[in-house]
Amino acid sequence: MAISEFNSPFKYKTNRSNAFRWVASHALHHWPIFLVAIIGAMGNAALASIPALQYGIVFENLTSGNPLPSIFLRAGAMVGISQIIRGFMQFFRNFGFEVTAQRIERDVRDEFYISLLGKSMTFHSLQSIGDLMARATNDIREVNYIFSPGLNMVLGSINFLFIPLGIGASIHPALLLTPVLFIVFYFVAIVHFLRILEPVTREVRSTFGTLNSRLAEDIDGVETVKAASQEQAEINRFKKNSQAFRDANVKQGDIEARFIPLLLLALAMGFGLLHALILYRQGAIPLSSVISYFSGLAMLGFPTNTSIRSYSQISLGIAGARRLLSTMNSENNLDQNEFGHGAIIQGKVNFENVSFAYDGKNLNLQELTFEVYPGQTVAIVGQTGSGKTSLVRLINRTYDPLTGSVKIDGLDLREWKLDSLRGQISIIEQDIFLFSKSVAKNIAFGKPNATQDEIVLAAQKAQADRFINELPDGYETVIGERGTTISGGQRQRLALARAFLTDPKILILDDSTSAIDSKTEDEIQQAIKLASEGRTTFIITHRLSQIRWADLIIVMRKGRISAIGTHDQLMQTSKSYRNIFAEAKE
Amino acid sequence: MGFHQGLTGELYDRQYSNKILLSRIWDYAKRHRKFIFWMTFSIILHGLFAALPPLLISKVLDEGIAGIPNEMAYTVLVAGVIFLQVMDFVFYYVIRRLMSRITANMNRDLSIDAFASSIEQDLAFHDRLSSGRIVSRITTDTNDFSMLIRLTMDVAGSIVQSVVTAIILFNAEWRLALVLIAFIPIVMLVVSRFRKLARRVTTKGMRAMANVNATIKETISGISVAKNFRQEEEIYRDFKASNTTSFKVNVQRGFVLSIVFPVMRTISGISIAVLVYFGALSVTQGLITAGAWYMVLLASDRFLMPILSVTSYWTQVQTGLSAAERIFALIDSDHSVIQSQNLKVDSITGKIDFNHLSFNYATGGKVLDNFDLHIAPGESIAIVGHTGAGKSSIARLISRFYEFQEGELLIDDIDIRKFDLPALRRNMGIVTQVPFLFDGTVEENIRFAAPNISREEITQLANQIGNGEWLETFSNGLDTQVGERGAHISMGQRQLVALMRVLAHKPAIFILDEATASIDPFTEYQIQQALGLILQHSTSILIAHRLSTVRSADRILVIDHGSIIEEGSHQGLLEQGGHYAELYNTYFRHQSLKYVEEAGQILGKELSGKTTA
Repeated sequence: MAISEFNSPFKYKTNRSNAFRWVASHALHHWPIFLVAIIGAMGNAALASIPALQYGIVFENLTSGNPLPSIFLRAGAMVGISQIIRGFMQFFRNFGFEVTAQRIERDVRDEFYISLLGKSMTFHSLQSIGDLMARATNDIREVNYIFSPGLNMVLGSINFLFIPLGIGASIHPALLLTPVLFIVFYFVAIVHFLRILEPVTREVRSTFGTLNSRLAEDIDGVETVKAASQEQAEINRFKKNSQAFRDANVKQGDIEARFIPLLLLALAMGFGLLHALILYRQGAIPLSSVISYFSGLAMLGFPTNTSIRSYSQISLGIAGARRLLSTMNSENNLDQNEFGHGAIIQGKVNFENVSFAYDGKNLNLQELTFEVYPGQTVAIVGQTGSGKTSLVRLINRTYDPLTGSVKIDGLDLREWKLDSLRGQISIIEQDIFLFSKSVAKNIAFGKPNATQDEIVLAAQKAQADRFINELPDGYETVIGERGTTISGGQRQRLALARAFLTDPKILILDDSTSAIDSKTEDEIQQAIKLASEGRTTFIITHRLSQIRWADLIIVMRKGRISAIGTHDQLMQTSKSYRNIFAEAKE
Repeated sequence: MGFHQGLTGELYDRQYSNKILLSRIWDYAKRHRKFIFWMTFSIILHGLFAALPPLLISKVLDEGIAGIPNEMAYTVLVAGVIFLQVMDFVFYYVIRRLMSRITANMNRDLSIDAFASSIEQDLAFHDRLSSGRIVSRITTDTNDFSMLIRLTMDVAGSIVQSVVTAIILFNAEWRLALVLIAFIPIVMLVVSRFRKLARRVTTKGMRAMANVNATIKETISGISVAKNFRQEEEIYRDFKASNTTSFKVNVQRGFVLSIVFPVMRTISGISIAVLVYFGALSVTQGLITAGAWYMVLLASDRFLMPILSVTSYWTQVQTGLSAAERIFALIDSDHSVIQSQNLKVDSITGKIDFNHLSFNYATGGKVLDNFDLHIAPGESIAIVGHTGAGKSSIARLISRFYEFQEGELLIDDIDIRKFDLPALRRNMGIVTQVPFLFDGTVEENIRFAAPNISREEITQLANQIGNGEWLETFSNGLDTQVGERGAHISMGQRQLVALMRVLAHKPAIFILDEATASIDPFTEYQIQQALGLILQHSTSILIAHRLSTVRSADRILVIDHGSIIEEGSHQGLLEQGGHYAELYNTYFRHQSLKYVEEAGQILGKELSGKTTA
């Protein structure tokens, strides 16, 4: 197994071989509270049977011809006290499962997160953040539900199924017949029910998804819908989707209506009573036992009326656990190469006949060959999907090429120590991520011990100092999702400041912002100029000014280099390049 | 868990009176009159069937006590019990089937009306209510409302059962029945206490959870960046703090919710204990039979549990009614754009006239004041000005998305208020600042406003833009799936598709609110080509952010504070050195080639270049 990039061991060992074992290993870790919950469940069920038995005792006494109020009192007290204790038991059961569930949720999320941190940048650039978040929130929540209400209800139900067995057995063995038959048919019915319900609930979810997403699109784009006079068409579509959703719901309702266990309960109670009465008439059991038995059968009401959802919840939870495990168990492809070459990068970059495919088969990049000297600024241009981003990700070894070689300072990247590479190459992504912290902390992210002076200097070089001072709290202003909003151009300059502090030898900038006004444009030009001084810089850019003055321009088209050279060279050789500079002459 | 929802739901302020609300609800319900009748019938019978078995059982027991039971009566009674139980199920089945139809149908009808109403509303409405809230009303609120219907049926059934049981109990021994009734206020008191406690814990929890969830989201989204800067330890610390807080908050909430049922159980248990004792005493005093005593015990459970669901019902009614109100408020909203006639036009020339027009949005001050503008058919106008000067309003008034307050707006010399709006808009092509695409193929999107255009015609049009090269950048050409809102393609590609839509449509009037986002220069070139083609055929109003767009127009209008202050050609206006020149310097200068060349100085390059091949 590859060494992961972040090593902070999780608190305890878990079994990641399959979903069941994994969840179980977490549960076992919390065995004390889990045990309390189970004891509560059993206690709850056991004490629930007391009233049934007491009824029998009282009834017997009442009909014995010598009724003793002291017996009634004792029985009443027994019922009262047992039910009070039962209340506590039930609480232990509920709260016990709840705490177990919450602890497991917390621990699973912790384990999941640590595992994510340990994965390579390769892994992270391939993941959709939305997916990861869905795993970390929804799937983990589903694992929580396995225990509460899931197991809580299911174990509780199973305990209650045993009560009439116990009571019946204590009275007369033949009385086991009804409860046993009930249990058997009950489980058969539940399994069958779940099986036919599952595709229908999926259909409900999917018809709703269709309905909702088109609805959201229509309302969001109402201007376009109205502009194209498509209101009636969209209403008709909504009617259709609505009908489909309605039909799925009715189908689900019809299945839920046929909830056989309810019928089974009705029959069990009826025939159980009949059976007990027959035995009574044969003189095999006293009438009071009929009462105890019948009240015992009534306990079957709890498992029958427990929401069928508890069973689904457990299976949904295991499915969620499986998804989590598959993310956690996915391999790291890159090795750290701890004993590789580590040195200060000069900045010469070579691509030698490089090809690359995300999935290892379908080429995203082909036949890339070029050479960049230390300190040069390279502009990479091209339309979407041309491969610009993939190209730069090969430079900091987020990915490895399929064929060919990427070299820095004459040495293939795979010979370098990964840590050394990462520490000296900085990428500023297209979607700049800033944390919900102060401006200063964001700038200092890569160098936490930076002094305030260093931070301000970096901000000045990035042409950000001026606008930072205009923010409500200056450098201490909290930004990010829950803080002050800043514009795209400002984010970019903060990211540049962040990069300045870490002083990389190779800088990769995915410059996708546009300046609305010329003043900001000047500032961004200046910031990029300062940023690219003294280091090899790759800029994915749309700005004509960056392209025009770059030391080397690479034009990408469909994964290949369609043109490469200086501005003057390209103006001679490439028609499409000439086109973009041909616009509106003054 | 419905019961817990009932505990923690919020209370809303309501505007519609209960009477009006209920009559509106009945409007929708009465379409299913027959269903409702059979439902009511079934609910009553179901309640009866559920409540009667204890009565029969007590008779059986009494016969048994008497010694030698009358065979016939005995068998009939037992058979009766079984029959009642089975009928209980049968009616449960019938009720559930009817209920799912009624609720699903009402849900569907309400949401269709709410949607139709929303989509036909003007933009002033959509400004007031964010799209998220509208969608939530159409789906979540209609769902909450149909839940209410279901709940009402359930509660009605519970009430019937409790009432019948009460009657039986009172009939048997009124004193014992009173003991049971005495427990009701205790139960209700406990439930209302819980509701307060639960709501407090939940509200506190929700606030904490909002923060926690945001942090968890952030720490996950930021992993890449953290790794980039090798700050994994730090980000883990942030995550762990949030995770721990989440745990604490949830446990607190879980504690409160875990207590509810056990407490109910205990109260119920104590009531049973009391009944056991006093009931038995009553038997010894000859007030009731032993069988009846047992019946009281059996019945008490069927009595108290339904009371429980009734008590949590009230909050849920409030939630449901508030939901219904929000939906009706949506449906009832006034339109601000009202047409006086329904003049249908097949084609127009595209002559536009603003005469002394004044306009302001509902929220703010005057946007256009005594505004005059005359556009000839086929002319192309570029509108420039600072943000908030009134540029977009001009376009939106022509599209009749908003109503103006004074003056007149004429299209082809006809008052715009006289047109049938869908017919008028079919003669307009509008591209908004963030071009909007639907989840479908490129071809389907292009066809959106011109449903009858063929694939060949589309391909022909596509080839007029730089030899159709732009199509090759899509993964599957015309059949590429663009994703929701065009998410699977780039910004530039979205703009191209939106412009192609207009090209296919060939409207008499073209309105473009130009996007400001940055696009690669190759796509930029293609977009300019597409624009050029459109400008040849339509009267065009361009709210321009690109220098090339401004320069391609016949006439440039400079707007400031709702009036036209300068007018003319690009060169002419620059030479004037007025407002246009200032705007140019601020917004357009950096787009010019001159600037690109001068940038070399900023970047410290000499013209001889530092390049090495």
